Amino acid sequence: MVFGGRYIFLSTFFAGVFLILLAQPLRAEPSFETDVLPILRANCFRCHGEKTHKAELSLTNQARLLKGGESGEAVVPGKPQESLLYELLRDGDMPPEKEKPRPTKAQIETIRAWIAAGAKFAGGKIETARVTQHDVIPIMLLRCTVCHGGRRREAKLDLRTRASMLAGGKSGPAMVPGRPQDSLLLKRIHAGEMPPRRKLVEVSIKVMLPNEIKTVSRWIAQGAVEISDPPGLATGKPDPLVSDKDRDFWAFHPPRKPAVPKLKDAAQVRNPIDNFILRRLQAKGLTLSPEADRLTLLRRAHVDLIGLPPTPEEVKAFLADSDPRAYEKLIDRLLASPHYGERWGRHWLDLAGYCDSEGIQHSDPLRPFAYRYRDYVIRSFNNDKPYDRFLLEQIAGDELADYENAKTITQELYDNLVATAFLRMSADGTFANITGFVPDRLKVVDDQMEVLGSAVMGLSLKCARCHSHKFDPIPQRDYYRLTAMFKGALDEHDWLRPRRQSGEPGSKDRYLPFVTDQERRAWQEKTKNLKGKEKEKHPQPLIRALWDRGEPSPTYILRRGNYLTPGRLVQPGVPAALTDGKTPPEIKPPWPGAKKTGRRLALARWLVEDDHPLTARVMVNRLWKRHFETGIVATLDNFGRAGARPTHPELLDYLATEFVRRGWSIKTMHRLVMTSATYRQSSKVTAQAERLDPENRLLWRTPLRRLDAETLRDTLLAVAGRLDLTQFGPPQGVKVRADGLVTSVAGPKGWRRSVYVQQRRTQIPTILENFDLPRMNPNCITRPVSTVAPQALHLLNNAMIHDLAGKFAERVREEAGDDPRQQIQRAWLIALGRQPTSEEREIASVSLEQLTDLWVKLLENGADPKEAARRALHNFCHALMNSAAFLYVD
Amino acid sequence: MNNRARTSPTESPPTDRRGFLSSISGGVFGAALASLLARDGFGEDAEAGKPASGEHAQRRVYDLQPRPAHHRPSATGMIHLFMNGGPSQMDLFDPKPLLDKLHGKPYFDKIAGEVENPGAAGALFRSPFEFARHGQCGTWVSDAMPHLAGCVDDITVIRSMFTTNLTHEPALFKMHSGRMLSGQPTMGAWITYALGSVNQNLPAYVVLDDPKGLPINRTQNWQAGYLPPVYQGTRFRSTGSPVLNLKRQFDEPDEITRLERGLIGKLDDLHRRKRVGQPQLDARIASYQLAARMQLSATDALDLSQETAETKRLYGIGQKTTDSYGRRCLIARRLIERGVRFVQLFIDGQIWDNHTNIATAMKSACDRTDKPIAGLLTDLKRRGLLDQTLVAWGGEFGRLPIAQLAGDKSDKTAGRDHNKNAMCSWMAGGGVRGGLAFGETDELGFAAVENRVSVADWHATVLHLLGMDYEKLFYLRNGLEEKLTGVLECRVVEEILA
Repeated sequence: MVFGGRYIFLSTFFAGVFLILLAQPLRAEPSFETDVLPILRANCFRCHGEKTHKAELSLTNQARLLKGGESGEAVVPGKPQESLLYELLRDGDMPPEKEKPRPTKAQIETIRAWIAAGAKFAGGKIETARVTQHDVIPIMLLRCTVCHGGRRREAKLDLRTRASMLAGGKSGPAMVPGRPQDSLLLKRIHAGEMPPRRKLVEVSIKVMLPNEIKTVSRWIAQGAVEISDPPGLATGKPDPLVSDKDRDFWAFHPPRKPAVPKLKDAAQVRNPIDNFILRRLQAKGLTLSPEADRLTLLRRAHVDLIGLPPTPEEVKAFLADSDPRAYEKLIDRLLASPHYGERWGRHWLDLAGYCDSEGIQHSDPLRPFAYRYRDYVIRSFNNDKPYDRFLLEQIAGDELADYENAKTITQELYDNLVATAFLRMSADGTFANITGFVPDRLKVVDDQMEVLGSAVMGLSLKCARCHSHKFDPIPQRDYYRLTAMFKGALDEHDWLRPRRQSGEPGSKDRYLPFVTDQERRAWQEKTKNLKGKEKEKHPQPLIRALWDRGEPSPTYILRRGNYLTPGRLVQPGVPAALTDGKTPPEIKPPWPGAKKTGRRLALARWLVEDDHPLTARVMVNRLWKRHFETGIVATLDNFGRAGARPTHPELLDYLATEFVRRGWSIKTMHRLVMTSATYRQSSKVTAQAERLDPENRLLWRTPLRRLDAETLRDTLLAVAGRLDLTQFGPPQGVKVRADGLVTSVAGPKGWRRSVYVQQRRTQIPTILENFDLPRMNPNCITRPVSTVAPQALHLLNNAMIHDLAGKFAERVREEAGDDPRQQIQRAWLIALGRQPTSEEREIASVSLEQLTDLWVKLLENGADPKEAARRALHNFCHALMNSAAFLYVD
Repeated sequence: MNNRARTSPTESPPTDRRGFLSSISGGVFGAALASLLARDGFGEDAEAGKPASGEHAQRRVYDLQPRPAHHRPSATGMIHLFMNGGPSQMDLFDPKPLLDKLHGKPYFDKIAGEVENPGAAGALFRSPFEFARHGQCGTWVSDAMPHLAGCVDDITVIRSMFTTNLTHEPALFKMHSGRMLSGQPTMGAWITYALGSVNQNLPAYVVLDDPKGLPINRTQNWQAGYLPPVYQGTRFRSTGSPVLNLKRQFDEPDEITRLERGLIGKLDDLHRRKRVGQPQLDARIASYQLAARMQLSATDALDLSQETAETKRLYGIGQKTTDSYGRRCLIARRLIERGVRFVQLFIDGQIWDNHTNIATAMKSACDRTDKPIAGLLTDLKRRGLLDQTLVAWGGEFGRLPIAQLAGDKSDKTAGRDHNKNAMCSWMAGGGVRGGLAFGETDELGFAAVENRVSVADWHATVLHLLGMDYEKLFYLRNGLEEKLTGVLECRVVEEILA
């Protein structure tokens, strides 16, 4: 447990206690050396001592104690109530709960009295630390370098380093060490001329604060001291922030292939997954449920893998296939379907936080070429791109190969760049000046760290932005080391705004022109004879991407996550808890002469090392969750100490190691999971099993699942014969009705699959929203499954659903003729992929007859008798679309 | 971790079955469902997904059943009159004689970093409105709000609020959810999450937005964020069908609809009988039944023909400028009467965002809302509802003491730009002192200086009045105790409590 967090709240509550303490007669002034230090040594040094500096805090001597930790000063002389040291001890927040020994009340009182008396030391006062360039450079970056830095050098002045300040600009050196009064830099600031007031918003910066001016002034007065940069990881010394004990946690050790358990009764086993599942079931006196019937499996597999129901023809073919491997062939067929990528790509898009608009402001501007990333993801899943390659491209595609000097832009080069949009997806208001200040940019960086942490690493990194992680050994330093890995591309002091401009390399936007030669030629061909407005309709094809620009600014820890309180400089690195803590990542430009740092490439390579403790585990767990509704680790995005423990740790490691061994092939893992007896079970609940394992954590049955938003909408359209299966390309638009209902716009061939509908943050199609399509914030790890009134109201009362039911009824009549019995059979087959049971058939035929009779009665005399039957079938099909059997999958 | 015991009404991240249970209480179905689940023995605690520290009592069902507060509440319901755009404090409740004196003097350089549109920034600008003291208490109100001026003895004006962002979107998020970004639970979601609702046939959290259009940030203003979706606000439109798809959008005889619903019911019943022990299916059936009940209740609550002509006049219904907002105010009273926990009113566009023509534009915003709001306060009071209903008024930020100049650079067309350092708001009713003007801004009204009230303080105070302790109301998410008031220091503004 570390400093930081909630202590602030407690101060009011304990003010009373404090007053009571004050009222007591004070003893003689305690001495630090004889009274206080022993208390600290006994109770605090195990984390804040000589070797270990949790939360950057060490209490071993005067200098360190006064320096404080990541949450600021530990001691404010004379003011115990403002001193974190006292406050946290008093409130029992330190030492962390359950840790022993703990200081007694009397000892805490001693510390209070010592602080109250001025926190004196035997050696007297020590000099306050010198101001160095590391106190000043963050201020220059924040206030000045946007105009006087690397990209823009107004008045030929660069304020990024001591040397460049001395070199100065048009008006001479910016500073004279030792003489603040003669330093041009300070003169201009003091005169209120810099930064120029009327231009502040234009460049999204603010004026220098008084304490910042003081710091700059003191630095110059002290002679503009420059110290050498602190080293990165490779010091050879033990890491004071992360110890080997911290690393001692299951998820921080690489997965090891476990032995497949031997079972006494292995009759149910189809593949090794079942051994792991059955071992735990049998230990509890349970077994797997019997295999579900064939058509249940058919529908389940269809929904799981492609998100579309089996067609009547597919049902027929599957039933007719007498091959004992018919089920395995079905899985292969579905994995080979072009719609597999649409289904599983969508899962990945949730993790990336895919959106076709920027959000933040009301205008919610569109991201014109975001769809390329969506298509890239779908194609990657369809092609079974190895997951390690998939990650390399998304995290560091721009550093995999030289695209700027390539003779031709191949599909591979194109994919590399498009993939990097993975880290360009969060809501981002920096397209506008007023929502483009440094804190706004840092929020974007933070969002992308959260995406990386939650989607790829299974760690809640974002906690460490403001203070060292409360549960996991992720010091704040490591969060900033990680952001430094991205600095070549995501640099809050050298920011590319999300605006589309010329698209020329080097222009200040986020688009690159490196589409494939084929696409470029097609565009040139199409536009060569066009002029004026006609030509504008076909803008130059661009790629929204993230790329390293070779000149990252230095990264400083931001104390308490506040950009106004920069702390010490850190070097790029990865979380120390996941490494041996000694070996730094090997960072070098990706190819000779590259104007890139190679930092993200180093990060990506590290992430996809075969024995990375998290990457494979996190992915196979996610896959498991999609097939069984719950992950082996229930908290998909948190494998840390605050996350859930795996229910089947050996199975998780078995899957993770198999995944790597089989070339990171996701399709292979589907095959393995879906051909297990565990997957093929029935979903039926039995009383005995329910009693022994009510949550089905041991998987004695397959969980019942509800169609998710996209699958429901796509299924409704497919059943009605109105689904346009066109793949890829710009999204299908949406429209907003006056009452707020949002729908997608149909094209000539109908409505496209939901994954191809525009994902604008402010205009989510109502049906998708009602059925839990999430707002990306910044991404979505697990969708909630709600059962709320608007869902029932939508399916019952919405005009479009009603129309689709009419189309469904027409289709039934076309395919089954006018005989109601045939119609019922056909409707069931189309909507549910099976025949009705005898009870269902009975209910259906009675109701259809009643509906027809009532329509006959209600329709005016002389109406076509077929009209009543037509309308009744419409109602019948509408009811089927509203039925639980339609919405839930066994 | 901290080891103080907490008596919170709250719990843990929804995962696995709890995640499912969280979800099945669809709006109004909590009652049926909770009992149903209890019968099924699903009320027992589960170990999976519990945080490692595992000390928190788990809530198992996320529904809208009424739940006890932390302490005795002063108000049992709340009406939030949100004023999009940022009403101008020095033109409404915070007179600044020094502005009259220094009118026309340059001031921009002193506040440069705080001005969104530096290009249009003018000099110090006096209020075009006249101020007077009103009521027995003598609270200052400008002549832009003659009707509210008659109610000041019942309200506390807070003149010293401030916020942290001067752009609409983040500032709105801040007011509604305590954070400057989307995806966070809003205040109404927190309140209904904690307290549920007395009426199980209506949503607990109703939003009455303007038929003319959605406010900025749209439906994100009433989202549940990471709280279970059952706690998100439900939009009731004041004309037409109050909820999307509440009524059939196609023509069909009612007998046919009944017959078809009967068919759905039979199929679902059969489906469920074949699947014993799958509570999702019970929940779904309940959701279909309760959707029908909501259709009736919502229609009744919105039926203003049940009100007398005198009442309608009181709210300004029937008069062109006040009709729309008056209807919403009256509907708000009818909903609060029926036990709806939290009602929030929005108004189209940003009528208080008076960058230009403050003299006329702000006056017209007042004209549209002043009489309806005074009518609402009067009506609540005479029905004995004001004592138990918290009414809060305010926007997302305040405005600057300098002019924002239009193209002609004249005072006549001048307005005021955004200001995060000072804003005004008021509260009335359940537990709030009447006749108080709290806090001070500086002499020019640029920044709150005395008894400053942050947005988090305001949230803490609202929660307190409704019976909750802002420190105890949390939701455990990924090992973090998420709160409406976040991690920043804040307090209940005790001085304004009755």
